[in-house]
Amino acid sequence: MAKNSTGSSETAGKPIRCRAAVVRKAGEPLVIEEIIVAPPRCGEVRIKIICTSLCHSDVIFWKLKDPPGCFPRILGHEAVGIVESVGEDVHELSEGDTVIPIFLPDCAECADCTSKKSNFCSKFPFEVSPWLPRDGTSRFTDLKGETLYHFLFVSSFSEYTVVDTANVTKVDPAIPPNRACLLSCGVSTGVGAAWRTANVEAGSTVVIFGLGAIGLAVAEGARLCGAKKIIGVDINPQKFETGKKFGVTDFVDSRSCGDKPVRQVINEMTNGGADYCFECVGMASLVEDAYACCRKGWGKTVMLGVDKPGAELRFSSFEVLHFGKTLVGSLFGGLKPKSDISTLVKRYMNKELQLDKFVTHEVGFEDINKAFDLLVEGKSLRCVIWMDK
Amino acid sequence: MAEKQVSGTTDGKPIRCRAAVARAPGEPLVIEEVMVAPPKAHEVRIKIICTSLCYSDITFWKMKDPPGSFPRIFGHEAIGMVESVGDSVDEVTEGDIVIPQFLAQCRECAVCTSNKSNLCAKFPFEMSLWMHRDRTSRFTDLKGQTLHHFLFISAFSEYTVVDITHITKLDAEIPPNRACLLSCGVSTGVGAAWRAANVDEDSTVAIFGLGVIGLAVAEGARLRGAKQIIGVDTNTEKYEIGKTFGITDFVNPTNCQDKSLAEVINEMTDGGADYCFECVGLTNLMHEAFACCRKGWGKTIVLGVEKPGTQLSLNSLVILHSGKTLMGSLFGGFKPKTDIPVLAKSYMDRELQLDDFVTHEMKFDDINRAFNLLMEGKCLRCVIWMDK
Repeated sequence: MAKNSTGSSETAGKPIRCRAAVVRKAGEPLVIEEIIVAPPRCGEVRIKIICTSLCHSDVIFWKLKDPPGCFPRILGHEAVGIVESVGEDVHELSEGDTVIPIFLPDCAECADCTSKKSNFCSKFPFEVSPWLPRDGTSRFTDLKGETLYHFLFVSSFSEYTVVDTANVTKVDPAIPPNRACLLSCGVSTGVGAAWRTANVEAGSTVVIFGLGAIGLAVAEGARLCGAKKIIGVDINPQKFETGKKFGVTDFVDSRSCGDKPVRQVINEMTNGGADYCFECVGMASLVEDAYACCRKGWGKTVMLGVDKPGAELRFSSFEVLHFGKTLVGSLFGGLKPKSDISTLVKRYMNKELQLDKFVTHEVGFEDINKAFDLLVEGKSLRCVIWMDK
Repeated sequence: MAEKQVSGTTDGKPIRCRAAVARAPGEPLVIEEVMVAPPKAHEVRIKIICTSLCYSDITFWKMKDPPGSFPRIFGHEAIGMVESVGDSVDEVTEGDIVIPQFLAQCRECAVCTSNKSNLCAKFPFEMSLWMHRDRTSRFTDLKGQTLHHFLFISAFSEYTVVDITHITKLDAEIPPNRACLLSCGVSTGVGAAWRAANVDEDSTVAIFGLGVIGLAVAEGARLRGAKQIIGVDTNTEKYEIGKTFGITDFVNPTNCQDKSLAEVINEMTDGGADYCFECVGLTNLMHEAFACCRKGWGKTIVLGVEKPGTQLSLNSLVILHSGKTLMGSLFGGFKPKTDIPVLAKSYMDRELQLDDFVTHEMKFDDINRAFNLLMEGKCLRCVIWMDK
């Protein structure tokens, strides 16, 4: 990665005027405009973004008219960048460091962060917030002085952003930026879900509902764990060719099952249900299907997809008691950002973890709306946006 | 303990004996003479020594619609002596002391040979009216009418016939009025703590419902060194006995004032319990239990038997954003033939407490009294002695 001169002595402590892609109204194309980014406060860092990629969660909140949707906002949460300046009391990072911002906070100190059992930081609890976590305010204003909302504590669709140190991790600059940004959310979530949340064992059978980047990352993780059978379920048959590259061994087109419901097809294919099922879309009915497809006795269903607020899952109480299955939700695949992202970087550099196949498109910042179109139309996995091009 | 049966007198022949028959939902059981057919292949006929009443008997005794069914012989917690065996039975012989269990263990299928689950795939659990293999009954009344089985056991009878996969041989000299408890309730609770949840030392546990199952969960958690065991029940009389089983704090859900139960427990546990157990069988409580377990690693385990047809409804984003786990457990995750003897030994070694679970003992003729006591919440386990 090229060493980037940020001219830190010139901008440190001062507001920066730069370009950002601002969403002013739900579902409307982002507008590239000049904004002001305030200097980082205590416990924060200001980052110059190198690459950012579009994740479906950005699209969900882009379209969301009602709270927690809010506008005007700077979206984006998958990225890699270089620290331009640090606020007070920041010791673990300095200017020039290559960093990945992550939506999931990791303070590395609280009982949860220091425990192996959880990645839910209790000092900086995760929430879909319009602000920065420490003081509940924004560092962004437009040129008219109007406050712009943050997104998932990251807001990477901007040449510069301010992020809490709980939401940043330092990484080896040797990893290409158009691969590093993927580890910020989608790929880590999927790989982590297989590896950490589910703890897929060699020889297991896995079913993945939804073959977007998350689902394919689950497949990649399951492949690395030695799963013997990886069944991909999707309504888009074009995903099946792509899926093979990620280790998917069998495909089910849920729209082509005829009279049989998907759950019956899968129970037959797996001789009684899969060891692990992953829901990677964010639809209650699919989670219920996933639960029905995991094996009685030890089947585990992992929820990764983000559904609409208010969506409810329904299970038969009788079945919950009698089938011995487990249901668990997972944020960021159960991974601890500050400990685990570096491990994933190493595994990519060692050529174990494959990331290249996730990047199907690359565009310059000016063309960010193209990334949205491609994803909405189901034509891309990850579209990487280069800020400097 | 009763003396060894003289073999050969009843072998291969039907036995006429007394049973407590439920003829209509919710109506007192009638002690009447019934015919118990000899055991077929892979089956064992047992002379019951002691049996105890569990709430699941009551749930299905009251049930008007399927899977409720009448006339039926209830009872599924028991201990007995083998009177005779059918063909192909090598595991037990006449005179052996055995505990029948509602959950089968064939020891051969992928599940039984795995340590990940106790839900035998070859003889799956179901709310059956019959014997497991051929789906017929071994009971008829004196008019020749078929009487339905319950949970593959039907212990409210002087003699019953049970499949070998539903039987655990007991070598330990454990008193019968303690051994029968291991057939269902106590094992379920202890198993839930040890096996399903795997409660670790210094953890925090919240138990919803302080019946025998809930108290057995507490006992299991206590033996594992849990540091805080919270008992949630509306019946404050349970609190004294709860302390014996290791409960450290009590919450009466009707006494939470402005706060919700989840708020109270989240405060007491500084963010939620490590493990929550639902031990009543009420969907609302299952929801509460889920809300009371800790974000990140909290585990909620459902043990209570709800009415068929009820649904658990959980908010999707809450599950995603909480990292909590939900699971159900039958028999606490224990494998009966493997684990019941371990619990028996633990009792004989004075580790596992069982004595305080038995609050009443009575003879077979008074069985309806046991039903009344349990429905009124005035007992834990009533042990019924068949021979008194």
